[in-house]
Amino acid sequence: MSAPTTNIPVAIPAAGSSGTPAAQQPRTIAGSLSGGVPGARGIAGRLLHGTPGRMRLFGLLGVIAAVLLGAVSANALLASQAAVERAANNTAQVVRAQSIHVDLLRDDAVATNAFLVGGLESPDSRARYEGAMARVASGIAKAAAAQPADGTALGALAERVQVYAALVEQARSNNRLGLPVGAQYLTQASAGLRADAIPIVEQVVKANEQRSQKEFDRSNSSLQLLVGVVSLIGLVAIAVWLARRTHRYLNASLTGAIALLLVALFVTATTITGIGTATRDVSRGDFQSAVTLADVTTAANDARANESLTLIKRGSGQANETSWKTDKSAVDTDLARLASSARLTSLWGAYVDAHVKVRELDNGGRWDEAVKLSTSGTSAGAAKTFDDFDVAVTQARDDAAKATVTSLNGLGGSAPLIAVVVALAALAASWLITRGIGQRIEEYR
Amino acid sequence: MSALSTALRRRISTLVAVVGLGALAGCSGVTYAETPLPTTAAPRPSSSAPPVAAPTCTNATQSYDPLPSLPSRDQITDPTMRDSIIKRGYLVVGVSADTYLFGARNAFTGGIEGFDIDMSRAVAKAIFGDPNKVQLRVITAGDRIPLLKDREVDMVARNMSMTCGRWNDIAFSAEYYRSGQKVLISKSLLADDKNAGSWGLADLKGKRVCAPAGTTSLTKLQQVQGPVVVTAATHTGCLVLLQQGKADAITGDDTVLAGLAAQDPNTVITSAKAITVEPYGLGLNKADTYLARYVNRVIADLEADGQWKAIYNRWLAGPLGPAPAPPTPVYGR
Repeated sequence: MSAPTTNIPVAIPAAGSSGTPAAQQPRTIAGSLSGGVPGARGIAGRLLHGTPGRMRLFGLLGVIAAVLLGAVSANALLASQAAVERAANNTAQVVRAQSIHVDLLRDDAVATNAFLVGGLESPDSRARYEGAMARVASGIAKAAAAQPADGTALGALAERVQVYAALVEQARSNNRLGLPVGAQYLTQASAGLRADAIPIVEQVVKANEQRSQKEFDRSNSSLQLLVGVVSLIGLVAIAVWLARRTHRYLNASLTGAIALLLVALFVTATTITGIGTATRDVSRGDFQSAVTLADVTTAANDARANESLTLIKRGSGQANETSWKTDKSAVDTDLARLASSARLTSLWGAYVDAHVKVRELDNGGRWDEAVKLSTSGTSAGAAKTFDDFDVAVTQARDDAAKATVTSLNGLGGSAPLIAVVVALAALAASWLITRGIGQRIEEYR
Repeated sequence: MSALSTALRRRISTLVAVVGLGALAGCSGVTYAETPLPTTAAPRPSSSAPPVAAPTCTNATQSYDPLPSLPSRDQITDPTMRDSIIKRGYLVVGVSADTYLFGARNAFTGGIEGFDIDMSRAVAKAIFGDPNKVQLRVITAGDRIPLLKDREVDMVARNMSMTCGRWNDIAFSAEYYRSGQKVLISKSLLADDKNAGSWGLADLKGKRVCAPAGTTSLTKLQQVQGPVVVTAATHTGCLVLLQQGKADAITGDDTVLAGLAAQDPNTVITSAKAITVEPYGLGLNKADTYLARYVNRVIADLEADGQWKAIYNRWLAGPLGPAPAPPTPVYGR
């Protein structure tokens, strides 16, 4: 339900009246009441006088209680459904931002690795770089359209990504000419990507994770229903008062109204609790796996880029190897947290083995062989084992993300219908209350 | 009275309708706070440390006497050479990968090559009989002395000037190349002033001049009044800054500048005379006097049998003309 939009401009008072303000009589509320509605107080006094008057007053209160219960129930139902919908949207945005994060690091891993090979980069690696870059560009546009609150951050990100892409192209064209300044541009591109662009993506992911979490919490809005419970107690009190006053114990209409409202409140409460529980299951299940798998993918791609950078720096890449180790333990921890990650763990293990061999070769002074192994597409090569893992983990993450959004979208679909039924029930109950009390007023006369 | 109760009923119905509509509109949209941008630390001002008066002496190029002849591997009893280099099986040399012609990565083969690399390979060949028994470790200019002190590398072959100050921290081989500090400018300066082509450092008033951190070129630049000092990690880093419009000129040894100018036709080395004499030596750990004497023997042999000239011609004959006579070594330290 969207907020009502009013585009009616605020009326600006005519400037002419400011000329003679003192000449006019000041208009007060008291003045307008006393003069404007003659005898209003008299009518109210007559209506509320004596026992029939009190019955009318309680009748009015009863109707208000019934309407309040209906309104609160319908509102809570719609709020739950809206919260689930927003949670689904925020989750989709988290997935979008994480995809951008992964593709940026994938770009860097491909670019640095292509550089390592020397000579002209292969058309395949060029195609992979361009594919990831295109996904980043369209991903930023889609994410900005999906969540306006991310607009500024994504704008800044787009700017940084452009700088990165420009530096990589400059590195590439210098490299084609065989000029060493190309390597310097690549180093600057990688450093800038990690220092400027990645922190923004991480911020966007974090903000949307928090928004999702907030909506997951909001989806269980059963606290509002306490108002409904109080209304119901009020109605019962009125029924008891009426029975004592008139010595007629059963008022069919009033009792019917109370029963109807009780059922409405119960249905509302169970529906909302159901939505809340199901949402929590999704947030702890598929959503958590999707987030964890995305973390695995980013850490793994960062590790791969660091492997290339370590080799490019030829013995001065200790900092990059340290980063590789940090990435590795992040992947290990996350994989251990996931259920049914046996296949991913074994694929990751194959890459780690290849990396360890690459480091052994490089540390043993056999840099050329280390580079060959790092870029090798054979079954034990680092390039092949890493690609196998990357493909598998990306697939697993996409599946988990899709499952999250699908199951969230499936939740709370019936809530609007139930809200309408509950609202109608409350209206029917109001009518019954009016009828029941009206009956007693007639009898009293 | 029944009229009144009808009126009441009607009023109640209106009220119900109003409240009901309000309830439906109640679930209004949620607006989120804007995603904050990560806070970035303010950029540090470029290091403009006050120039430190360089220690002076008269024997900066004086190294240790060369060994009378090259011993075979089994004859070497010096603990550093025997227990670390020979036992390891290869020599670890700190080199540059982006000093075009002296030590640079060949973008087509991925290998590092240049004048300094050939010098390193010559030392490896003398020790192991194989020029490939060398691990080239790419380091920055600022890394040279710390890595030698920590014995992370056995030797540094990275266009390193022999100075009195550096002799306090490390040892040098005999001089194997003589260079001098010059200035490279962006050709855009020529558009503003036709005479820019002959400018020295002192003429670059208010211009941003780049030099790599930890180099003698930077020390010299800081001693000159007028230019705005900009630093980068390497000379190539300076070239990137110049190409990005963040520097107007670069100062460094003429050999290094020749390598930079060869990479960017929009730059030119000014015709001003070299402001310093830069004798290049191979850097060694201060305690490794035996290794220094061994390396000096290798260099003396290279110069004697014409290999030094061959190496020079392979890399530098193009931009600098055919090889001059090798620098005269000074021994006796």
